[in-house]
Amino acid sequence: MKGVLHVAPLAVLVLAGPAMGQDAADFFRQNCVSCHTIGGGRLSGPDLKNVTQRQDRAWLVQFIQNPQAAMDRGDPIALRLREEARGVVMPRIVGMDQARAEALLNMIDAESKLEKSQFVGLQISDQPFTPADIAQGRRIFTGDRPLAGGGPACISCHTIRGLGGLGGGFLAPDLTKVFERMGSRASLASWLLAPATPGMQATFRQRAFTSEEILPLVALFEDTGRGGGQDARVGNFVFLLFGLGGAAAALVAFGFAWRWRFKAVRAPMVEAGRRVRGLV
Amino acid sequence: MNVRSQISMVFHLDKCIGCHTCSIACKNIWTDRNGTEYMWWNNVETKPGTGYPTAWEDQNKYNGGWAADGSRLRLKSTSKTQTVFNIFHNPSMPTMDDYYEPWTYDYQHLFNAPEGPDQPTARPISMVTGEPINVESGPNWDDDLSGSPIYAANDPNLAGLSEEEKAQLSAIERLVFFYFPRICNHCLNPACVASCPSGALYKRGEDGIVLLDQTRCRAWRACISACPYKKVFFNWSTGKSEKCILCFPRVETGQAPACFHSCVGRIRYLGVLLYDAGGIERMARLPEEELVEAQRSLVLDPTDPQVIAAARKSGIHDAVIESAQRSPVYKFVKEWKLALPPHVEFRTFPMLFYVPPLAPVMANRGATGVENVSQDLFHDIDTARVPMRFLANLFGAGHEGKVRYTLRKQKAVRWYRRALTVGDVGVDLAERMLREADSNVEEAEAIYRLTSLCTVDDRYVIPPMYREEAIEMMRDPLEHKQGVGFGLLRGPRRGM
Repeated sequence: MKGVLHVAPLAVLVLAGPAMGQDAADFFRQNCVSCHTIGGGRLSGPDLKNVTQRQDRAWLVQFIQNPQAAMDRGDPIALRLREEARGVVMPRIVGMDQARAEALLNMIDAESKLEKSQFVGLQISDQPFTPADIAQGRRIFTGDRPLAGGGPACISCHTIRGLGGLGGGFLAPDLTKVFERMGSRASLASWLLAPATPGMQATFRQRAFTSEEILPLVALFEDTGRGGGQDARVGNFVFLLFGLGGAAAALVAFGFAWRWRFKAVRAPMVEAGRRVRGLV
Repeated sequence: MNVRSQISMVFHLDKCIGCHTCSIACKNIWTDRNGTEYMWWNNVETKPGTGYPTAWEDQNKYNGGWAADGSRLRLKSTSKTQTVFNIFHNPSMPTMDDYYEPWTYDYQHLFNAPEGPDQPTARPISMVTGEPINVESGPNWDDDLSGSPIYAANDPNLAGLSEEEKAQLSAIERLVFFYFPRICNHCLNPACVASCPSGALYKRGEDGIVLLDQTRCRAWRACISACPYKKVFFNWSTGKSEKCILCFPRVETGQAPACFHSCVGRIRYLGVLLYDAGGIERMARLPEEELVEAQRSLVLDPTDPQVIAAARKSGIHDAVIESAQRSPVYKFVKEWKLALPPHVEFRTFPMLFYVPPLAPVMANRGATGVENVSQDLFHDIDTARVPMRFLANLFGAGHEGKVRYTLRKQKAVRWYRRALTVGDVGVDLAERMLREADSNVEEAEAIYRLTSLCTVDDRYVIPPMYREEAIEMMRDPLEHKQGVGFGLLRGPRRGM
């Protein structure tokens, strides 16, 4: 019994070594690929190929753990990065600590040496999208074409311009300008590949988008971002009118259903008596 | 036989002068608090009239009381299921306007008004909102037939009267009205108790007074819809319902309730009745025309040895049984059959009985002065100014038999006394009338004494309540013996 106790921590150390590499890759896939590639070019964040040769490793370890702190400190490199990312600051990743940052950098080093990294990201041509792509994207957005992974349709939480009728959901941000915010097809597509916000992550971690779905969606967002479709405010106004009309109709229906309800005794009696005697 | 005792009441309507002293006595003692301004636990109505709240007798509107559906009794206003769905909204409740909006006057205005061409007046101010109001109704708005083309004309008891009879009611030579004082009837089969979702209302076992537990009341107000006499009221300040308590603190100490005590016309009688609680439900399901007799049959003879034995078995004290034997109510209700329950068709079995008024004889103004319509012995009862049909709607569930019986007997007693004191009627004739009215000389003498010569002790036979023994069931009366007393509920204010 005593022997087992002594051996146990050792076993954990031994097992942790090889496991750490795979763990770091998974972590990178879940948390980083929405903004970074390794050898795939810039998305929201910079391409991380050979990053440890460009920057001091100790600085990197610290920055990864708390990017905002580096900005607040006025660190010149961090500020330059922010400028390059057009103001987007890398969020603080849940579960990030020194050991994990080191493991990630090791993994990035290893991936950088490869001919083609697994994190090279989605490669999307610069050819203009066809109207068919955009239409397909709209069908996916509205749920006419169900998502292959089984996830809910975009419209249940988001809206974009040009949906018509009551528009989409208001639970999550309006996606009309999302293309502008993300900057490029590649970054938008990467983001959809591994959505990083808590709401999207919880919903789509087990029901990921397929690349056949991502492409039309990017096409749709690019189109609406450039001013395609009609103004969304019309949809909001219709929604308001619909609500007011519905409430009024419900009140009328209640009033009719309970039209014989008890209202008053004396006032109607006196009113009727006066009318009979011609006093009103 | 499940014998219980009940403090019951008789109001003799021929003696009521409509002075409202009873209402004021009650108001001053019980309902001069915040939130009770509009309540009149005791009120006096003019009949024909719509009363307070307006047209309370019209259960097509208010849905109060019980309905007998075949083999079972059911509340008109609610049911166990409906209570759940209507818990936040009882649909058949009188509005404030149906009672009236209580008001006072801005007397300060008489002193503060700026100088002007007119006399300043004390303007009416609502006691609910504090704003000036235009007074449109009050608790006795139709007193003495005021506004009768609207109010008296809508009396629900006029149902079934011909247009001619209705027109006669308001003809100037025949104009007639009587007063109808009302308090809680402390019913045998109270609808308010049955309707309460919180179980806050209860009928006190020892004396049958219906009370409302202020700590258990949850303001659902089902009682207010259910009571067909509209004698449960909602206090908007405390958020609890309240009702007549028959001045139980006074009754427990041997005093008559305030409204009885203050009655100028001495119309009120109070005493114990013994009744059979086991028969209530069966009797309350009977057809309307049998209800008066059914309620009478529930009242037991306190001199019957079997009844006495059963009463003792139910824990009724010998002194209460003795009190029941002297009860004036028993005489009026059961022995003489003069007093009738109001609106027995509501099936709550009210334990406040009324002796119907013997209305004045119809007369016409003739060439030689006033001429009576009829010289026949009893004929005037049917041609009396108050139509028999009207009294039957009020006291006989629409059936005239019981009302005619009591009016005939009252009339016979009057003629008998007239024969004795005035002497313009032969005693033989008077005795024949008594026989025809199912009475005799002894009974006529007793009716005369209890009606006209009654003392306070004749009218109010209040049983000893034995509260100390009743309390022993709940707590030890010696709990505080050798203690330091009950303590101060509110500290005295002393000092300079």
